[in-house]
Amino acid sequence: LQAAGGKELKAAVHYTVGRLCQKIGEDHRRPFSRQAIAAIAETTFRQCDIFAKDLEAFARHAKRSTVSVDDVKLVARRSTALSIHIQNKSDELTQEHMSLKKKTTAKRKNTETEEESRE
Amino acid sequence: MAEKDVEISFKKDTVSKLLSSFFKEDKTKLSGDATLLMVEMLKVFVQEAAVRSQKQAESEDCDQVDIEHFEKILPQLLLDF
Repeated sequence: LQAAGGKELKAAVHYTVGRLCQKIGEDHRRPFSRQAIAAIAETTFRQCDIFAKDLEAFARHAKRSTVSVDDVKLVARRSTALSIHIQNKSDELTQEHMSLKKKTTAKRKNTETEEESRE
Repeated sequence: MAEKDVEISFKKDTVSKLLSSFFKEDKTKLSGDATLLMVEMLKVFVQEAAVRSQKQAESEDCDQVDIEHFEKILPQLLLDF
């Protein structure tokens, strides 16, 4: 019953892992062997299974069927550095939402004022 | 002027499909923001794996990072995540 897209997803992971490793290899002036990259990609793929199961369990525990930001924060709890990093990213996203909302509201108000003055 | 690095990251759609494929229940979904945070999380995971492997290779005076270097740092990596 596993979708045929399984291979494509693995390939997509492998591709991005490869690019990340290439960059880090350049930064350190020490390339990664093909085998090493494949192993990192495989591990990342398997780690997603663990992440997904945890996320689902946390959401279910909170009686939700949609995994939320809070669930992700829980998954990141084991490492302080990681928790802080995820928290910062989450704050960034919240900021973006707020500034987008302000723009939309301002736009709407301007349009209304224009219509009033036309009458 | 130095050219800005193009940021490499996982595609939001890929991460969404990937995580969803591992959910046990059909009704479980991922919010947009949760997906974006997981994109970040996976990037950090890969970077940690890669950088730790680099350090291991360095400590062994190797000029290439081989699978053995990754295998040595893998246990601690998994514990830290």
